[in-house]
This record gives sequence, structure tokens and C-alpha cells, in this order.
Amino acid sequence: MVDRNTDVGGLPMEEMVAEAQEALRTDKKSYAPETSWTRAIDHLKREWQLYVMLAPTIIWFVVFLYKPMYGLQIAFKDYSIFRGVAGSPWVGLEHFEVLFGNDQFLRAVGNTIKISALNLLFGFPAPIILALMFNEILHATYKKTAQTIVYLPHFISSVIIAGIVITAFAPTGGIVNIILGWFGLDSIYFLTRPEWFRPIFVGTGIWQEAGFGSIVFLAAIAGVNPSLYESAVVDGANRWQMMWKITIPSILPTILIMLIIRIGNIMEVSFELVILLYQPATYETADVVNTWIYRQGLQSGQYDLAAAAGLFNAVVAFVLVMAANTLSRRYSRTSLW
Amino acid sequence: MAGVSLSGIVKRYGGLQVVHGIDLDVAEQEFVVLVGPSGCGKSTTLRMIAGLEEISEGDLEIHGRRMNRIAPKDRDVAMVFQNYALYPHLNVADNMAFGLRIRRMPKDQIATTIADTAAILGLTDYLERRPADLSGGQRQRVAMGRAIVRHPKVFLFDEPLSNLDAKLRTQMRAEIKRLHNRLGVTSVYVTHDQVEAMTLADRIVVMNEGRIEQVGTPMELFNHPANTFVAGFLGSPPMNQMKAQLTETGARVGKADIKITGAINGNAGRDVIIGIRPEHVSLRPGDGTTPLPIALDLVEPLGSEALLHARFGADEMVFKAETQGDISHLHGVSEVHVPANLVKIFDAETGRALSLEP
Repeated sequence: MVDRNTDVGGLPMEEMVAEAQEALRTDKKSYAPETSWTRAIDHLKREWQLYVMLAPTIIWFVVFLYKPMYGLQIAFKDYSIFRGVAGSPWVGLEHFEVLFGNDQFLRAVGNTIKISALNLLFGFPAPIILALMFNEILHATYKKTAQTIVYLPHFISSVIIAGIVITAFAPTGGIVNIILGWFGLDSIYFLTRPEWFRPIFVGTGIWQEAGFGSIVFLAAIAGVNPSLYESAVVDGANRWQMMWKITIPSILPTILIMLIIRIGNIMEVSFELVILLYQPATYETADVVNTWIYRQGLQSGQYDLAAAAGLFNAVVAFVLVMAANTLSRRYSRTSLW
Repeated sequence: MAGVSLSGIVKRYGGLQVVHGIDLDVAEQEFVVLVGPSGCGKSTTLRMIAGLEEISEGDLEIHGRRMNRIAPKDRDVAMVFQNYALYPHLNVADNMAFGLRIRRMPKDQIATTIADTAAILGLTDYLERRPADLSGGQRQRVAMGRAIVRHPKVFLFDEPLSNLDAKLRTQMRAEIKRLHNRLGVTSVYVTHDQVEAMTLADRIVVMNEGRIEQVGTPMELFNHPANTFVAGFLGSPPMNQMKAQLTETGARVGKADIKITGAINGNAGRDVIIGIRPEHVSLRPGDGTTPLPIALDLVEPLGSEALLHARFGADEMVFKAETQGDISHLHGVSEVHVPANLVKIFDAETGRALSLEP
């Protein structure tokens, strides 16, 4: 058989003639062998539009997420902005030793975990409950109005949200204290009291994001096969039973995916809102890792120490998200990857 | 007392009326199939029986009790859905037990019922599996099992086989038939597949545009269609229909006179449609047959028989012929023979079957 890729120039004439005769006799065509390289080129020729569409996202990730990772090495260096990242001397784990010997940092880690745990406990179920409640509203106009009202806070800037909260909890003229006054209770300056920071912070987060967060779960509910409900109706299930036995189990994969993502962000307490709501009087309960990094890194100029704290944050989040994903895959067949 | 009785059932969505006064009695233990093209109102009618759609007008009775305002759960019906409606997060046993648990049946009784039903349906080895791990046929069986365990007075089937491939559909059709013979539960079955209707039904209800066109046994409908719609809907391929004019001796189609049975009397000159079933045509002349000259267009071999697509004058016709293992002799066919007693006559205007006095 004649092979197009074979260099036939060096073959004896008899062999070439014999091969040509054999090819004519069998009347078979011969093709260049396919390799993974030729297949990849064919694939790119066929699907190049998809790669063009993907390119901006990849470029964004490279420029804003992967390239900055180069700077992470300052967590292990005695960094000076004059010497630069490459020129600064290595100091090993010195910054981490300082970090874990710093009471304020450890307090910030504790606060981050406590606030995140409260967020997870109250903030995570809130959009699910909202979505389930919206799903039960049959009147279309009422449903749309209610949804718009709860989505709105998401579109308000954190600065405005913080302003509203500060005003609402103000010791004089704040609506909360006015209501307390109706019941004969003394006015409380909530935002200067450490014990009130976490409830106010978590409550504000729920108010701002629960409505918008419910969209994902509403979409998941919309994807549930309607005949499951019809079948349950014929079987005699009421709406409560349908919610527990059909809706919630059906959207469980979505709930688990959102939970894994949430756990991945457990160390990322809403930095802006904390900065806007906390004050030295409430640092005891309000100072979180990110605000500590902000104060140490940007305000005190200890970039290397702040980078070490940031790296610690990222490693904890990475371990948590891996663990959550593995557990979810093992026990519920649902996982992010 | 009828198992299910529908009197003047109407369904409206706002100003749009989709079911126009259905009257139907389904006897106890009877298997009735509602058949018709998409949008004819058959599924809506079934859903009204189930209680999943409100009845706009008319009366629905199940075992003599008016059901219009009764909740679906209290109608004592069980429904098998087109897409099976199995709960993906529950295994086979839990899917089948769902309705029983809702009704608070004791656990040991549920276990016994599930085991018995699974044995009937050949699902015993699959009770721990989830629907995603089952084949289409197995899922279909689970859906039926979920209906059976309830021991309802009426089974409702909404195109339960339409998601299966042709081979599995034939197999499941036979299983449903056997199951009905064994359980003897009144069943109302919706399908758009006339083969399913013919093979399963004790009686077929042919529907079109929200109305019943004809009710009868499969062979009644096949042999004596009430109108051109039924004639065209049942049978595969459907009945050939041609415009004709009655004469003193038969029916004139183009230049040909086709013999028919029955007295023409004063009907000569009347415009009609004549119907000839593909399988009633013969390649050889016989007693009382009319030869029709045809221009053969295409021969489709089906194995033991073949479909002959041909032109007869301006009309396109399809005939069935036996192949006897070879179709070469069919390519030269230029004439077919139509037996007079099997030619159907319909009024050209109304499409209704005409019965000429013998």
C-alpha cells in the first residue's frame, strides 16, 4: 500500500512498482496517520469561535488572579517596596510566627470564624426559605411585587446600606430605639456595643442578599418536573408534604453546590460592610482577618505580614472547600468538580 | 353502575374552549383508550378525571359518586404519567411506597404490598436502585407499580409508552394488557398511537378537536368508521379516500366505475367519498371486485408484505400486498381489485358514513 508520508525516493524501483500495482489491485486509498496533534488542529479549526469567546475570561483570570500570585512570595520575604519583590531577602516562616503570636490576629481569625458560622447558620438558609415561600405564592402580581421588594437591597451600595443601618440603630432618632422606647426600654447605642455587632452584621447581610440569593434556588425549583407534583397530588400529598418530599430533595444538589461555594468563602466576611460598621469600640467582636490585613498592610505598610495573613486565609478556604466538595460527592453524589 | 361516567364535560381556559361536551361511560373493569391527534383534548379529559384540571361544565362520576369538587386524592384513582414522574431522589421501593406513606399505611403492610407488586412487575431485584440507574422499561414498570400499590378503583394512563423505543413499547403494551387482565381495574388510557389503541382497548374513543368522533370496539371502528376522520385515523396505512359520485351501478371515480354493495335508490348523482382500506385490495380478480388501473410509483417491502404506492387517476393510493418472500413480481403491478362489500361510502359534505340499504 502506498503511504503518502513514506519517502519513496530511496526505495528500489521494483518495490515501488510492486506497491503501486498492489494499490491499484486492491483499489484502496491510503491516508496520513491521525495523531493527537492533527486531531487537535482539526478541533481548533472546527471550534475556534468557542475559544475566542473563552479568551476574555482566561485573560481576566491570568491578569487579575494568577499574575498577582507571583507577589504572594513576599509572605516569605522581608519585603521592601524599594527593593521590590525579587530583590527582597527571604525570611522563611518568620511572618507566620509573628502572625500566630499576635493576639489581635488570632482574635480576628476567631471573629471571622464566628461571624461566618452565624452567616452560614442564618444567612445560608434564608434565601432557600424565601425561594420556597415565593414558590408557594400563586397570585402572579403579588409574587412579582414581593420578589422585587426583596431583590432591591442587593442593588444598593454597601455604603448606603451601612448608612441605613447606622441611622436605624442610632441612639437618638433611630427607628429601633424609638420602638424600644414604646415598650419603656432604655435607648441602646448598638453600634458601640461589641455584643450587638454580630447580630446586626449578620442581619444586615441577610436583608441585603437573601432576596437576590433566592434567585438561584427559584431557578432550581422551576426546573423540578411538574408531573412530580401532579403525581404527588393524585397520591394525596398536601403542599407542605410536597415541599418537604419533592421540592427540597429536588433542589438539594443546588443547595449543596451553593453550600460548597459558601464554605469556600468562609474566611471572606463582607469586608466593606465590616469596615463601614465597626469602630475601635467593637473591634473585640467585629475585627475580622480582612480588616486586620487592611489595617496592617495598607495603613501600617506591613505588606509582607499582610500577605502572610492573606495566604493563611486562602489556604484555610482551599482546605475547607476541598473537604466540603469531597464530603458532598461521597454522601450526595453532588460536587463542584 | 359505570366505573367512570362523563356527562357533558366541558373544559375552558379563559375564553378558549378545548373540550366541547364529552359524554362517555366506562364500565367497571373496562379498558377504554382515548385516542386522537395532538391537541384533540384527550389528555385534558384524562386530567379532568384525575382532578388535575377543573371541570368547567358537566358531571364526572366515579363508581356512582359525583367527583367534580372532590380532591384528586379522594377520587381513588392512580395515574401513570408520560414521563413516569418518578422521584429522582428516592429508590424504587420508596417511589412505590410514596403514596402509601402519605396515606399513613402501616409500615409492615407497605413492605408486603411493595414486595408483592415488585414480584408482579419483575422489579424485586431493583428495589434499592434509583430511577437514574434504571432502563426506560424498568422506569415504566416502577411508574405502574406506584399506581398498582394504591389498589385504586380507576387507573389513568397518560401516554405511558411514548418515551420508549419501538421494541420496548410493544413489550410493555403486552405487559399492560396482561396486567389489566390480571387486576381487572377500570382503566382509561390516553395515546396518540392508534396501534396502542387497537391492541389494548376493550373500547376505543376517537377524539378530534375536543369532541368524540366515535366510540366502539377496535374492530367496530376499523370495519365501520363513523366518518372520514376515524377512517383516516385508525389503520396503518390509513384508509384511502377518494372523491366520487354515486351512479345507478356504483361509484364513479374519474373514468372508473367502482362496484359497491347496497341499493343506490335515489342517491344517484350524490357526491361522496369512497374509502378503501389498503389491506382490502387484492392483486387478483375475485367475486364482486372492481379492477382499478393504477400507475405504480413505489414499492416498500415490509417483510411478509409490501406497501404499494400508486396513482389512480388524480388520487394517490397505498395498498398492501403479500410478498411471499420476493417483491420482484410487485414491480409490474398495473391493476388492483377492490371488493365491492369492503368499499366504504361517506357523505362528501359532512364526512359521515352512509349506510345504503342492502
